[in-house]
Amino acid sequence: MRLSRRGLLRAGLAGTAATALGGLATGCAVPTGSTGRNMVLWYWSGGLSDTVVKKAKARYDSSVDLDAIQIGGYYRSKLITTMTGQAHIPDIAGLKGEDMASYLPNADQFIDLRTLGAEKLKSQYLDWKWQQAVAPDGSLIGFPIDVGPVVQYYQPAVYEKAGLAHEPDDVSSEMNTWDKFFAAGEQLKKRIPGTYILTDVGSVFEMSIGQGTTRFVDRDKHFIGDGQHVRDCWDRAVEAKRRGIVSDLVTGTPDSISATEKGRLPSQLNASWAAGDLKLQYPKTKGRWRVANCPGGPSNVGGSFLAITKACREPEKAFEIITWLLNADNQAQGFVDAGLFPSTPASYDMKKLREPDPFFGDQITMDVYGPAAEKIPVAFNSPFDVALGQPIRDEIKNVGVLGKDPKKAWRDAMSKCRRIADHLGVSY
Amino acid sequence: MATVPLVEKPPAPAVEPPSPNPKRSIRSYWRLYAAISPFYLLFLAFGLIPVGFSLYLSFHRWDGLGSMEYAGLSQYKYLLTDTDFWSSIGNTIIIWALATFPMIFLAMVTAVMLNSAVRFKKIYRFAYFLPNVTSVVAVAIIFGSVFSTNFGLVNALLQAVGLDQVAWLNTPWGIKVAIATLMTWQWTGYNAIIFLAGLQTIPGELYEAARVDGAGPIQTFFRITLPMMRPVLLFVLVISTVTGLQSFSEPQVLLQTTANESTFSGGPDHAGRTMVLYFFQQTFDNNDFGYGAAVAWGIFLVVVIFSIINWRLVQRRGED
Repeated sequence: MRLSRRGLLRAGLAGTAATALGGLATGCAVPTGSTGRNMVLWYWSGGLSDTVVKKAKARYDSSVDLDAIQIGGYYRSKLITTMTGQAHIPDIAGLKGEDMASYLPNADQFIDLRTLGAEKLKSQYLDWKWQQAVAPDGSLIGFPIDVGPVVQYYQPAVYEKAGLAHEPDDVSSEMNTWDKFFAAGEQLKKRIPGTYILTDVGSVFEMSIGQGTTRFVDRDKHFIGDGQHVRDCWDRAVEAKRRGIVSDLVTGTPDSISATEKGRLPSQLNASWAAGDLKLQYPKTKGRWRVANCPGGPSNVGGSFLAITKACREPEKAFEIITWLLNADNQAQGFVDAGLFPSTPASYDMKKLREPDPFFGDQITMDVYGPAAEKIPVAFNSPFDVALGQPIRDEIKNVGVLGKDPKKAWRDAMSKCRRIADHLGVSY
Repeated sequence: MATVPLVEKPPAPAVEPPSPNPKRSIRSYWRLYAAISPFYLLFLAFGLIPVGFSLYLSFHRWDGLGSMEYAGLSQYKYLLTDTDFWSSIGNTIIIWALATFPMIFLAMVTAVMLNSAVRFKKIYRFAYFLPNVTSVVAVAIIFGSVFSTNFGLVNALLQAVGLDQVAWLNTPWGIKVAIATLMTWQWTGYNAIIFLAGLQTIPGELYEAARVDGAGPIQTFFRITLPMMRPVLLFVLVISTVTGLQSFSEPQVLLQTTANESTFSGGPDHAGRTMVLYFFQQTFDNNDFGYGAAVAWGIFLVVVIFSIINWRLVQRRGED
């Protein structure tokens, strides 16, 4: 008994000590202790090509220990937690495209890549993508990984049956405006009852916003979501609903999957990376898809960056690694491995990107993606865009799914935006 | 090592009269305090400090990375007039009520049946407990197909008895019912096990006496079983209130949408947006950590109020 009690006490003391030490250790593990040899890179699953990461490790092995870690779960919150906690901050960090605007006001947490000579490489990257990583003070905090040009994925057999254009070039030219696309949707529904060209109205609104050069909040922290440019996108989505070319299915449910497999939802407006999702979700439909231009012009969804944090001990080395990881050759590899669409136009002509894709009936999809990626308009992304775009997105969903009166929905969205803008200090 | 002999003389403190100085006695028990300290230190580091920090945060504006800006009570002022927050409380309570009452009823029935059944008791207990340890995410995905409009099991059953299809995950009430059903399924077995434990503490003599006095099974249940189970019922009610009011993963996974929409919006008309989902959306979608903290404290208050109401209700019934 006595022995076990003492053992218990000792275990307790050891535990206490370990806790205290653990606490101290995390507190002190600011990279000041780093020898400069280790270089930690954070990204998420599918954020970089594994092949390229492996090659980078081998290539820089003599000078640094490159430790590339895939961070699971909610990536952004994990990154900002370590950055705020001033501990275990990665030297190089992936920044997701949709989060980019929220990092920009805190550009001082990252190294201005212009100081490392980024400007010299600028011409090799898509200009609009490059601009997205420029902070209000002019510093460049992220180096472009990939982009997400939006295209129309469609099933030619269904289009053909409905008497619509079905060759990629014809679809691109004959459905180049939203109006023509909607008309095609009406014809599709009439010829093959129960078939819809759109799964939800959200994609019409979202892609339309992406086709413009202004979004919800401008550079002066002023709410512009009530402007005509947003109203036009809204009306377009409402119009799609009114014409009855939108299904009442929920994206991603067994219903929509089954309907897609049966050709009842023969098209999708989505980014280049969605090709990977199609292949995963509908393996049975291999060969039954093609890629054409998005109606109304190019748009972009997603696409990420690599940044060097202030905690990095050797920014020059880190920059060398980043620029190597993201050169045109390796970006091409990223597309082949992980569907990361290159932000380097030089990659688009490379042989390995011009391989026929059996999933898309041996179409050379790059012919559609490439030109789309180059023509995406430059739009200012405000850190307040997410908060102030959400009420509008929510209400258009209510119109689409619940059949809410569009006028009331718009009024509700605007009154909510006004309140949120007021709360966030955005002028209205 | 000098302290070891002290430990080896266990009778010594027992013989000594109680110390007049309380400080001294605390000091002499330091080893015991040290032994139990890991929990308290961990609680301090990972429980109390974050809680305190969230209170501090709720008086500030903060995007998570930059500098904090003192905002006084403005976050709370906004919270009080935030219709989205109030509707999320409404959603949570409706979903909780839709889930909890059927759950308690089913759990009680199951427990009474388990208590009287003799064969395969252990297998039943195991089977009933299983839903509770299954990952919520996996369950929610399965329920997503069960409730899907065209190919779901529920609609197939409805059609089999000649009723119309219901777009469960596309209508405000359908969403609430679907989430509540998932939660009921998940917690019934767990609570049945707890009820069963309660049932087994009721002395058999009470039932024997009742039987001698000519009471039927229904009378026995309402006059003996239910009154004796009151403390267990209170426990189950309080626990289910706390878990029900914190529901998050169920609506999040069940109503997962496309990439260009928030995963925390809770479906059409925010019908499935619970309080915690709203908190998460404000904090991590909008990067509004100050307001998120204020929402979290709002949720805390709601949970406290509900626990008190629950406790009072069950308590008063006990006094009658």
